[in-house]
Amino acid sequence: MNSAISVRHLTKDFRIGIRGLKLRAVDDLSLEIPRGQVYGLLGPNGCGKSTTLKVVLGLVSATAGEISILGEPSATSAARRRTGFLPEAPYFHKFLTGRELVRYCAQLSGVAASDLDAAVEDALGLAAMKEAAGRPIGTYSKGMLQRIGFAQAVVHDPELIILDEPTAGVDPVGSASIGRMIHAMRDKGKTVVLCSHLLGQVEQVCDRVAIMDRGKLVLEGAVEDVLSRRDRHVMTIEAMTPAARSAAEAALEAHGAKITSVTHPRRSLEDLFRELVTGSRDA
Amino acid sequence: MKDSLRRTLWISRVTFLEAVRQRFFAFLLVLSAAMVLSSVSLRVFDFGHGELKFIADFGFGGMFFFGSVLAVVMTAQLFFSEIDNKTALTLLAKPLSRPEFLLGKFFGAWAVLGVFVLVLASLQGVVLWAREQELIAAAEQAGRIPTTFSIVGLCQLVLLQWLRLGVVIAIVLAISALARTFLFTVVVGSLAVVAGQLQWIAQDAFLRPTDSPAYAAFLWISTRLIPNLQQFNLADALVLGSSAVEEGALIAVCLSGLAYLAAYLTLGSLIFRQREI
Repeated sequence: MNSAISVRHLTKDFRIGIRGLKLRAVDDLSLEIPRGQVYGLLGPNGCGKSTTLKVVLGLVSATAGEISILGEPSATSAARRRTGFLPEAPYFHKFLTGRELVRYCAQLSGVAASDLDAAVEDALGLAAMKEAAGRPIGTYSKGMLQRIGFAQAVVHDPELIILDEPTAGVDPVGSASIGRMIHAMRDKGKTVVLCSHLLGQVEQVCDRVAIMDRGKLVLEGAVEDVLSRRDRHVMTIEAMTPAARSAAEAALEAHGAKITSVTHPRRSLEDLFRELVTGSRDA
Repeated sequence: MKDSLRRTLWISRVTFLEAVRQRFFAFLLVLSAAMVLSSVSLRVFDFGHGELKFIADFGFGGMFFFGSVLAVVMTAQLFFSEIDNKTALTLLAKPLSRPEFLLGKFFGAWAVLGVFVLVLASLQGVVLWAREQELIAAAEQAGRIPTTFSIVGLCQLVLLQWLRLGVVIAIVLAISALARTFLFTVVVGSLAVVAGQLQWIAQDAFLRPTDSPAYAAFLWISTRLIPNLQQFNLADALVLGSSAVEEGALIAVCLSGLAYLAAYLTLGSLIFRQREI
């Protein structure tokens, strides 16, 4: 019962063409996604991660295997009531305003009429969309579409939130904003499943990751565990002179250690961009 | 049950709003209204029949033809816009069942067709009434019995036409649930409407004796699978009183329409449940 999502031996085949050729999208996948964590599902395009999410949500039927969401069999109405979903490149009815869309989704998700207004305003506030909520969705930018999509996914206060490529096509500032929303959800004790191939962002926001390739699971574990190399160490040194470096090398060699590379630390281009662009917007 | 009805209602509401914003709906409504209004000036071509009959035939013909086009094209468009734009993914990931989604689409589209039929029938009623008053005055002067039309009959006809279009929408939704493309749905849906209009031919043939069991089976299946859309065309009898409508006939037509409507919606829901989105 500790798993938010439990996938056991999931296989999904698609029949293609008139001859019904079999295309295996997911091959004997087993996953346990723990509750209260941000979980990244990674992999190249076509590796089966979106298909896995669709099967989990009951949008596509499994060829074989068992899936449960929060202890309930997946694809049941009860399971979906506790789940929020933001699909890849979401498209919503352009004539609705952002507030109307979130309200519509809240009603479909079974939010009680007495709680409706508060739930809608909370979700819009969380997605930083209150100011633009009165505008038709047709006038929204890509980043705003993703944010309103996030608001509709969380309006019914789900325990599990599934985000399929939430930052695809969004600029780094918008991407960072979505990252903050994900952290806010984790702080509330929600489970967030993030499907993406933007590795930098996944590394920043996820607690655990699974990497898929050609429909199979190739790696799974805590981000810290899978990324750290226990046999290597990094030290950041200030004001190092050639003499200090020689002395350090000699001291390390005396203990059987060896310096393999010395470089200057770099900040990422994304950090630089966010610093410059957010800074200029704040000014 | 209450929650299910509520969700169906929300889907219907948004479907209705989406449909009435379409230029296609406005275009067909204006075109049909123009056809009803133009019947007054074209009544000289009544081919020896009564003027009111010509006006009624012309107007109801427009309502029937453009209503069918709207029912086929708009329903297919409303369904495939949700699938192709992937809004269906967002909606069906919520605690919304596929039958609720399909029923919501049905009621939304049916409501739009209700507005279409009501607007055109109101216009037709005004045109018929205005001409009837002129004909009554002329008949009184000439000492003849004037031709009249029945408002109650017009209301009954509106309900029958709305039900007929409901059957067409249900058929198109069942085809949409199975089809992969909008174009295929429109083509097959249009063929289904034509087949429905000609279903009485199969009924006639079925009643005649035949030596071929296969042919008899084909006719039996055809007459039950395809609804007889001609049975809803009672304009002359109801509005102009050209012939008496048998007692219970209207109820039988309505029950038959509702049965086909329910059957095609059930079939569509069963197919849509298996569809991968």
